[in-house]
Amino acid sequence: MVAARKAFRWVALGLITLAAAFVIAFPETAGLALQLPLLALYSVARMFAAYVLSLVFAIAYGTTMATNRKAAVVLLPLLDILQSVPILGFFPAALIFFVTTFQGQPVGLEIAVVFLIFTSMSWNMAFGVYESVSTIPQDLVDAAKGFGVRDWLKFRRLVFPATVPKLVYNSMLSWSNGWFFLVASEIFTAFGSTYVRPGLGAFIADRGSAGDIAGIFLGLAVLAAVVVALDAVLWRPLSVWSERFRIETTGTGQPVPRVPLPYIRLTWLPRFVRPRRWVGTRLRPLATGYARLTVRMDRAASAHRRVIRTVRWVDLALFAVIFALVVVTGIVGLIGLLLRPHSPGVSEIPAATVRSLARLALAYGAALAWTIPAAVVLGRSPRASRLLTPVIEVSASLPATALLPLIIGFAIFLTPSSGTEAEVAAFLVALFAMQWYLLFNLIAGVRAIPGDLDEAARSFGLKGLAFWKRLIFPAIAPSLITGSITAWGAGWNALIVSEYIQFGRCGPSPCLYWTEGLGYLMDRATFGVPQLGLLPDGELLLLSILTMVLVVLAMNKLLWRPLFRRASARYRLEV
Amino acid sequence: MPEERPPLLEVKDVSRSYFEAGKEFKILERVRFDLAERDFVCIVGPSGSGKSTLLRIILGLDKPTTGEVRFEGQPLTPDNPRVAMVFQSFALFPWLTVEQNAELGLEARHDPLEARHAQARKFIEAVGLAGFENAYPRELSGGMKQRVGIARALAIEPVLLCMDEPFSSLDALTAQNLRDEILQLWSNPELPPKAVLIVTHSIEEAVYLADRVIVLSARPGRIVAELEIDLPRPRNRKEPEFFGWVDEIYSLIV
Repeated sequence: MVAARKAFRWVALGLITLAAAFVIAFPETAGLALQLPLLALYSVARMFAAYVLSLVFAIAYGTTMATNRKAAVVLLPLLDILQSVPILGFFPAALIFFVTTFQGQPVGLEIAVVFLIFTSMSWNMAFGVYESVSTIPQDLVDAAKGFGVRDWLKFRRLVFPATVPKLVYNSMLSWSNGWFFLVASEIFTAFGSTYVRPGLGAFIADRGSAGDIAGIFLGLAVLAAVVVALDAVLWRPLSVWSERFRIETTGTGQPVPRVPLPYIRLTWLPRFVRPRRWVGTRLRPLATGYARLTVRMDRAASAHRRVIRTVRWVDLALFAVIFALVVVTGIVGLIGLLLRPHSPGVSEIPAATVRSLARLALAYGAALAWTIPAAVVLGRSPRASRLLTPVIEVSASLPATALLPLIIGFAIFLTPSSGTEAEVAAFLVALFAMQWYLLFNLIAGVRAIPGDLDEAARSFGLKGLAFWKRLIFPAIAPSLITGSITAWGAGWNALIVSEYIQFGRCGPSPCLYWTEGLGYLMDRATFGVPQLGLLPDGELLLLSILTMVLVVLAMNKLLWRPLFRRASARYRLEV
Repeated sequence: MPEERPPLLEVKDVSRSYFEAGKEFKILERVRFDLAERDFVCIVGPSGSGKSTLLRIILGLDKPTTGEVRFEGQPLTPDNPRVAMVFQSFALFPWLTVEQNAELGLEARHDPLEARHAQARKFIEAVGLAGFENAYPRELSGGMKQRVGIARALAIEPVLLCMDEPFSSLDALTAQNLRDEILQLWSNPELPPKAVLIVTHSIEEAVYLADRVIVLSARPGRIVAELEIDLPRPRNRKEPEFFGWVDEIYSLIV
């Protein structure tokens, strides 16, 4: 811990020097920095609002799906589809809806942004809840039943705790997803006007279109700092704490972490800012008060069982009605569209699909080419891991959408006025969106290789190609596929923001960088391209979204699922 | 002969079948027995005799295909506070401390906080776990885990204690200690339970513990014999009479 504290001192010193150098070099941009804390607060507040909504939704949806077999028939495939939908494609529609509902008030925009982040956070969490609840061991369910534990108490003592490990893990995933969409949605140009909600994402995009590189870096630095800080004070402690909720039959004698949350992992902080022990003592009456409150709540919950049950049914019925409404209007709209003569853009869809697929495949290949060796090094060498993990975590904390201005700038620099800037930029954005999911899943896979297998391989002289073929590849196959599914999901969303980019100034309007693809078609159909004389096209938008959904679903069903089933059947490391 | 006592538990012609792909698989067939206060009954049978299914039906966790189970003259519900269960796998909630686990049934009964703590501590002490109130199950050995399971069951002061292979995942020495402790609790009129029903595959265990042994046959489970073990307590596993009983039950099963 002393080493950690010393390292902290050096890092702090380095950061202060860097900040000072920045102020001297770019005094004007540094002046902008004063507004950044408030902007960061706005962005974080949006994320939290969306997260709380997602949490409530995920728990309600996931537990219903796991405990009500009839509801699951509808809920499970529906969630599967929702998870595969490229969310950004629907954002313009959601934006119109909320903006017109609130008659252009900022509230409407704010709700639209939170809604978009919500849709990027909740599906995987709901699946996590579903998996945890449906795998609660039968004997625990029996014990709860046998001791009369039900209703609210059952949720509090059995169902919710069982979901904690997967919920925390998925929450971390959801937050990094959320940042991607937050940055994409804080500033949005549609239908001839630009909608801005002040925040870090809007700041970065604004600096980007002003051509202020220092400003972009400043925004990125603050964004990275916020993400890393949240990770350190919130997600790390939570994931240590969530270990307590793991259901295992083995593993006797292991101590369970029991330090109050904020103390864990904070030992690297200088002593004067670290929370003191007495905080725990002061908090004890609160804990007793909470315990007393729960007794009362349990009692109330069983006294009003019928009320609670009615509320739950009304809830579900409401959801069913909304769902049916969406499906019916969707089908009616689709039939109406198909009956009319097609707009000319529709014939471009097949070629665009192929282009987008090829682009993603290329980015995926590039991501694999560096993440597999990197994961093996990081997973097997504690030294490399210690040195490189901070760098990787900071880089990974930056969503690809935030890097967009830098990437397009880089692409222009790399291939000046050759007409391929947009192609290069789209590839890079897809690469950045995909690579971290692969890297982190692969590292976990490499770390999970049991030491005795490794030793056995070595003692039998397995080296070079054989070592990779016989040990590394089979062992990481399941995590490679899990990472690939998430990476491709992120890749599709990245296409929507990267195949059509507005950046810098070309005369009165921003410069356009675009390259053929499904994402480009969607953007074009949504906004129109006045420079090319193209108008917004609802039919094209709907059909390109539908195509993307179908491609994603087909890939999941026909490629990833079968691969995953095979990999986990053959290559799972049984303990 | 013991005097006539009203039955606590009546198992009336219980049968249980599973249906798979239109085929019927019989697990239990017309099982019938009574259990009265102060009884200590063991159900023995080979694996596949449906012992655990029978216990789940007795507790109301599973329903019989035909027949019924009555407790104190009423159909049994799983949350009946006068019956408590101890599980082979312990079935402790890993995220709750020893004390919170022991309080589970009391919490479900909405006992006030202080009463709950006092009651749980009383039985944690009774099973010899004083000082471990704030430990988590993962930190305990198998024997200690099962003591928590027993404390949790006793805390609701049940009349009947049901145990499903309670000692079979413990090492031999720990198992023997716990058997003696269960016998002590049962014979102590100050402490619950009044009657004990244990399901086991160990014939020796049954002869050591029970004053009545119910022998089940292999699939489908039928009652082959009901034997009164009249050996004096404490019983000695080395005595020829003890072996006589074990041999007799063994020959009934095979």
